[in-house]
Order: sequence, then structure tokens, then C-alpha cells
Amino acid sequence: MFKLLKNLIKEPMFVIGSVLFLTTILAGLFGPFLYVSMPEGATYEAPSATYLLGTDNLGQDYVALLLKGLQNSLYVGFMAGIIATTVGTLIGLFGGFKGGIVDDILNMFTNLFIVIPSFVVLVLVSASWPEGRSLTLIAVLIGLTTWPWTARSVRAQAASLRGRDHISLARINGATNLEIIFKHILPYLASYVFMVFIMQVASGILSESAISMIGLGPIGEGSTSLGVILNTAKNNSAITDGYWWGIFPAAIVITMIVFALYLLNNSMEGVFNPRLRK
Amino acid sequence: MSHILEVKDLTLHYLTRFGQKIHAVTDVSFTMKQGEILGIAGESGCGKSTLVNGLMGLFIPPLYPTSGDVLVSGESLMNRTTKDIRTNILSQKVSMIPQGAFNALNPTRKIKDIAADVMAAHSENKSGNKREIYERLRERFDLFGMETDRILNSYPIQLTAGERQRSVIGISTLLNPKVVIADEPTSALDVTTQKVVIKMIFDLLEKNIFSTMIFITHELPLLRHVAHNIAIMYAGEFVECGTAVQVVHDPRHPYTKALMGAMLSADANQKNKKPTTIEGAPPSLAKKIEGCRFAERCPSARPECRNKNQNLRMVGERLVRCDYAE
Amino acid sequence: MFKKYPTVRYVLQRAIWYFLTFLVALSLNFFLPRLGSDPVDIMMAQSSFSSPEIRKQTEENLRKEFGLLVLDKQDSIVRDTVRSIVIDTVVNVVADTVIDEQGNVTLDSLGNVVVSERNETVINKHEKIEINAVKASKFSQLINYIGQVFQGDLGTSFKNQKKVSEIIAQALPWTIALQLPAILFGWIFGNGLGALAAYRRGVFDKVIFPLALLMSSIPFFVFGMVLVYFFGVVWDIFPAVGAYSLELTPGFSLDFILSIGYHYILPFFSIFLILAGGQAIGMRSMGIYELGTDYIKYAKWLGLKESRVLVYLFRNAMLPQLTGLALSIGQMVGGALITEMIFSYPGLGMAMLTAIQTNDYPVIQGVTLLITTSVLLANFTVDILIALLDPRVKQSLSMDAK
Repeated sequence: MFKLLKNLIKEPMFVIGSVLFLTTILAGLFGPFLYVSMPEGATYEAPSATYLLGTDNLGQDYVALLLKGLQNSLYVGFMAGIIATTVGTLIGLFGGFKGGIVDDILNMFTNLFIVIPSFVVLVLVSASWPEGRSLTLIAVLIGLTTWPWTARSVRAQAASLRGRDHISLARINGATNLEIIFKHILPYLASYVFMVFIMQVASGILSESAISMIGLGPIGEGSTSLGVILNTAKNNSAITDGYWWGIFPAAIVITMIVFALYLLNNSMEGVFNPRLRK
Repeated sequence: MSHILEVKDLTLHYLTRFGQKIHAVTDVSFTMKQGEILGIAGESGCGKSTLVNGLMGLFIPPLYPTSGDVLVSGESLMNRTTKDIRTNILSQKVSMIPQGAFNALNPTRKIKDIAADVMAAHSENKSGNKREIYERLRERFDLFGMETDRILNSYPIQLTAGERQRSVIGISTLLNPKVVIADEPTSALDVTTQKVVIKMIFDLLEKNIFSTMIFITHELPLLRHVAHNIAIMYAGEFVECGTAVQVVHDPRHPYTKALMGAMLSADANQKNKKPTTIEGAPPSLAKKIEGCRFAERCPSARPECRNKNQNLRMVGERLVRCDYAE
Repeated sequence: MFKKYPTVRYVLQRAIWYFLTFLVALSLNFFLPRLGSDPVDIMMAQSSFSSPEIRKQTEENLRKEFGLLVLDKQDSIVRDTVRSIVIDTVVNVVADTVIDEQGNVTLDSLGNVVVSERNETVINKHEKIEINAVKASKFSQLINYIGQVFQGDLGTSFKNQKKVSEIIAQALPWTIALQLPAILFGWIFGNGLGALAAYRRGVFDKVIFPLALLMSSIPFFVFGMVLVYFFGVVWDIFPAVGAYSLELTPGFSLDFILSIGYHYILPFFSIFLILAGGQAIGMRSMGIYELGTDYIKYAKWLGLKESRVLVYLFRNAMLPQLTGLALSIGQMVGGALITEMIFSYPGLGMAMLTAIQTNDYPVIQGVTLLITTSVLLANFTVDILIALLDPRVKQSLSMDAK
């Protein structure tokens, strides 16, 4: 474990990824509490000493909006990631380990929900949700539509472990299925599951921004997200009127988080799978 | 008579990501005459496979030549571009039969297309009439006494392990190479198939498709039947070189002796002999090694062995890298 | 069955599987909008009516339209006063009257309503509407819906009374014209780049890899916005919105076609480049994996031409990439549809956005159904392609048949 970390620190991709990611996490966690928002100004005021990133269509301070949006986007991303990873890992582990008819059924479900686009499910549910869609609702929806990806890859890994000697040995020694899964299979997959989790967080953040972009994002006081900021800017023609500060900061922040997560994932893949290095 | 293959003090190294040099092959020298079969034996990781790349002049990073020379019919393979080696040496002068034919054939290509690719890569007229190529292929594969048409028109997955290995041998020797290097061509095959493959190699030798061969294996007894001369490799060095009879029946280097002791024999008069094991592992090649490389594991090592570099010397009409061998 | 023709058997098996998946997707398409609440309730709450009669009529029509009521053979509502549906709706009435604690309007001594502009009040009036019709069960609603879909009837838009199938027929060509080439070329370009990066490594890889990784981190629509801002607004090189100049009348004139091409460039590149980035990343790691395989080493030992080795590499690494494309095509199409919205491109994405903004459920459902269907079709096609292209899969098919 320690050696892995040592190898990781030698990877420039990992270092850049972690620095970017820690920066966004810290900004998202503490930014909204530490930053004192400026009073409302004029509509679309250009960046200045008072408003570092200008104001939006309602004259709100963009720095405050961005920090809050970042916080909420990270919340949705992590929440969706945790749900998708937990559900997917359990289903994948169980199916891959059990094999037989249980695996066939679980695998059929997984494949079914992989080919039915999660985007469609998100749109259909969000569009008809009766009252205010909360951040949590959106996160849960994303998590519940993206788990098949985790299940699919975890299943393949678990199935390949099933035939290993130490598993057979444990089975002969009378270990229960649950014991084998949690004691002998999960630890082997831990690094793998973690990498999948990172990708799920990234895809959660992207999904949230996409669903917000079509006007089905979270509604309510203080639930602005990076996607909502972009959508509001677009609806108030910030692009065509040349108010770049309405789009670019939020666009850069989204890209940064996702890029950081991709960097982390790729550098870890390189260390766990030495073939990709050199 | 001139030598068909001449290897002079060949030293090869790998360059790691952190700029470290790992000398996988050190000071290897030998010569081969037309029609000679040389066996090279040693444990896995002793540098056999690295040596193969060096003998073909194929240096793909991170493998680099450190020093020494390889001459094929007097023509040096050193300091040449990969493209030059590819078009003028490989398949034509030096060819290679790899181990594990199961994976050596492109799974999405038919045997005849892989073979045609080899011909196209080395033919003068670039266009190369397809029908002509297949005609030549058929002739060659007919020599092997296999179902030529079925095999040529199959994807690797449709063939048995033996058929695959024989296809590989056919493809590797398609252009009548001067020297063939067979890297463990029979390991990972069952005994019957092993025999078929060996027989095919001898058929080809008989029919003069090729005549000079380096046969690499970790099975010493097999070499006794196949090779004229045998070289034993340990930690990147040749430790004993002699005729097959000398090396197998009368080994002099402690490592060769240990290696022979580690072999299980079907010989009746050796029934009661227990196989011995060689304790320990070969030294790491990442560091500069002082003294004899086998000293750590040698049953008859003396204190001075650890500091004193050993050189090949004549012992009982063969070369041994041990000052105390008799 | 079909034991002699494993490939045919496989195609049939897949076809059946995808058909069943389609039925599940249809059910989801039907039930999901009804998960939170009745779509009709939402629509009714957002509309205002001049009289209760019109309100009742509209509600009845909507419920009929949604298949929520039992209909007879002539498609008219089955009336039943006993099992009538009572709907409790909330009506917001803004009044400038003075209201006492009981919610009653205060009258002055002459019996006139006391009017006070300062005391504007919102009264939540509960109104009960009674429709003497029989509510259809959820299951019969679903069967009804599936039947309609198979007849090509996707319902009627609430907003302009157009057939949903007509709206889709108008938008679909634009979406196909934009997305199919962008996804196809993006896939080819990205994979070529990825294979080269894997094969060449060195400086080429050191530049391409991080760049492709960065590109794949940008959402389609964000990149679209950036392109519009620079090329459409700041430098004003390309048009920012639309699929053609509105001054031209659509037709087969040269001007019109040129205008289409001119408007095509930005949306095309905003999908193409991002997609290519993601594909390059995938292909690179597949390629590096394939490079380490024995057959590539053997090909090099045989002295095959570099271009030939690259073809081996590309072809074999492409197969898993093709499966990857099929699996992620749903996400891609979703992302690309949002790109249409950025450019106000008159495709399905725009149709869906308009429908979402106006709660036009039949249109939303129609578009989502179409997306699902095309994704399923794409997957089916790739499954068959792989079986034809990969001898290993083909071989396992004939093994299964035995």
C-alpha cells in the first residue's frame, strides 16, 4: 500500500490531479462559508475589484454563486457516486461470485439498464416530478441510473477471482458466501472499486450539469449548481451578448473537477496496471 | 570455413524509466557453422529471451545494445536502423519461432493472410500478386503433410495447439532463413504434440528449408537429442559451453551440475537418485555484480568466489566459467 | 433451432433480447412520467381557464389523451356517474378585496365589496371537479400505450395540436445529419489518434494524451458554448445559432445549401472534438494492452511492415472500442442533444427542450422513446458487427450451438 502511494507520487498526472481536486474540494467545502458575498449590483456587471467575476442577470455576485454551485455540484457528484458504486458493487460482486442463474438474472438486469440511456430516465422523472426537485433527488436519480456501469466491471473482476485457489480454500474451510465476498474478494477489488467510484463521481457531476442545462436541474433556494449557473446564463443570452463571465468561470470549474478526476483515475490505472506505464 | 553466425562479447541492457541500466546479457560470445544446432538452456529470467532479440538485431526500447557485435554471414547487425533490420534481416537471414503459439498468431487474421503479410513485407515487387503468393504458400505448407487448404483458410482459434505451432514454424521459415532461433517451441504443448513439432523441425532441416538453428529451452534432456552443442546460461552469462554429450552427461560447472540434478530423469539406473533443488534465486541484475554470479547459490563456493570475477576457461575440452571446476 | 447456422441463431437471439428490452423501455417511458404525480395535474395547475366548463373539458380531453380513462370502441369516454373521478384542484385567485379571518369577502353596509388595493390577497380556493368517467387501470393504460406506439401513434402535442410523430419527423433529419457524422468521424478520428499514441509513445503520446484527456473532461455543451462565444460572437466567423440563415427560404437552392453547411461547422466540431478525445483515451489504453500481446511481438519479429503492424493493432483494439461505443452511445446522444440546444439547432434536442419548457409531455415522451429506440438499434447493430468481425466470437457461437 505504502509502495503504491510512493509510485503514485512519482506520477506527474497523479500530482496534478490531486492538487486540482483538493483545491476544488476545499473551495467547495469552505468557500461558501468563508467568502462574504457582495451586495446585489447591476445586471451583468463586468468583473471589477468589487465583483471579481462580475454579476449575473439578477446582479448577484458570481464568486459567491460559483462557490455555492461548486459545493452543490460536488455534493450531487459524490452522492450519486456513492449510490452507484454501492449498488453496482454489491450487484456485481454477488453475481460475479455466485455465478449460475443468480448471475444470469443480475447480469440481464445490468445489461438492460446499460442499454436504456440513463439520460432518458433522468429526463422522464425530472420532467414530471411534482414539486421542487432537490439536489438530493437529482443525485439519487443519477446514482440509481448509473450503477450498471459499476456492476458490469465489478462482476467481470469478481468472476475472474472466483476460481482462485484462496477462494476455494476458504470455501473448503466452511466460510460463508458473505464472509468470502467481504473478506476474500472485496479487498482484492478495493483499488479497482475506488477507481470506478472516481469515474462515477465525474459522471455524476457531468450528468447533473447536463440535466440542469435542459432546465430540469435542482430548484429551490440555495440549490444552484454549476449546471444551473450555465443554464441561467444561456437562457439570459449571456453568450450571444458577450457576457463571458457568465459562462467561462463555471465552464472552467466543471472541466477542472472532471479533468482532475480523470487524471487521478488514469494515473492509478497506470500504477495498478504496469503495462500502461513506460 | 567461415561462420554463419558470429557473436562477439555481446552485452545488452534495459533502460528503466528512472534511467537505471539492467544488464540482462553480459559478454556472450559464440560462433555457429552452417548446419549446426546450438542449444541454449537456463532458468527463466536468465536472459535467454533478451539474447534472442539481440541475435536478431532488434532493439526496441527499452532494450539497447551496450557493446559487442553480432555477425550473420559476416554482416554486422549492430548500429542499423530498425527499418533496415526489418527489411533485410528478419525472416530472411534470422528468423524466430516463438513460444506459446497460442497467442503468437493474430486472432483476427487467417493463417494464409498472416503468411502473405510476411511475404509482402520482404518481396521486391511491392504489389505481389495475391494468387501467386497463395500458390507459393500452398506449396510450402504441403511439405508439412498437413491439411493445407483447411489450415491456410482458418483463423488461429479454429486450429488445435499443434496445428497452430506448426503454422508458426511454417510462417517463420517461409523465406528460408539462414539462422532460425526457436525459443521454447515445445513448452506448453502436450507430449504427443511436442513430438510432432520436433519431427516437423527435423523434416524442415532434412529438406534444407533451413540448416542452422539455435534451440532455446529449459529442458536439458530434450537438448541432448536435438542439439550438437549446448550453452548453459545463468544471470545473463554463458557459464558452460560444450558438445551436447559433454554438457549433459559430464557437466563441469556447479550450476550445470545443479541443473542436471534438478531434472527428473526417466533413466532406470537413476531411479534411486533424488532430484536436488537449487536454493536461492539468481542475483538482481540492476546492480553491478562483483565476483561469481552463482556464488550465492553454489554448493562448492569458496569465500574468494564472491569477490573474484570468473572467466570462461577450457576444462575438459569445453568452456567453463569457474576457476575451480575440474 | 438453427443449430447449423450459429450466426443466424445468434442474430435471432439478440433480436429477441432487444425486443424485450424495448418493451421494458416502453414501460419505463410510460410509467416514469407518472411516478411523481399525474402529468395532467401538473399541466392543469400551470394553466388558467376562463370558465370552469372549459377547465373541465380540457381536463377530460387531457385524461383521454393520456389514456387515463376507459374508452369504448368508438373512442369516446365511458360515462359512469357512480365511479366518477373527483379531482381536487387548487386555484389561485388574486383578489384586491379585503378578506376577514374566515376567508370571506368583507362587505360594506350597502352590501358592496370592500376594495383595497393595498390588501391584495392570494386566496387558495379548492375546487372540486367531477368527471363522470371511469378511470383506467395502470396496466390497461400501459397496454393501450404500447398498442398506440406500435401503430406509430405517439400522441398529440398539447401546445400546438400537432401530431408528435409529425414534430419528430421534422426534427429528426437535422439530428441525424448532425450527430451521425459527428459521432462516426469522431470515433474514427479519436481511435486513429489513440492507436498512434499507443504505438508511437514518446513525445507524440505526451502531447496527445493529456490533450485528449482534457477534451474528454469537457461536456459537449460547454465546449459548444465556448465555440459559440469565440467563433460566433467575438470573432464573428461562424453563425452562432440556427441551422440555416432565416432570411433564406428552405429549398434546393445553392445559397440555402451553403448556408446549411456554414451553420453546420460549429455544432459539428463541438461534438466531434470532444467525442474524439474520449475515444482516443480508450483506444490508447486498449492499444498499449494489445502492443504487449504475443502476436504483435511475433509480427515484429517476422519483420512485418510498420503499417501492417499498426493495422493489426488498430483492428484488434477496435473491437472492444466498438462495444464501448455501443454501450456509451446513449450518453453521447444525450450530450449531443444538449449541444443542439446551445445552437438552437432545429433537431430533436431543441424539440425536447421546447417541450420541457412548456410541459408538453407527449412530445417529451416521444423524443425519449426515439432516443431509446435508436440506442437499442445501435447496440443491436454493433452486436451483430462484432460477431461478424471477430472470429473468436464467431467460434464461440458455433461452440455454443453444439
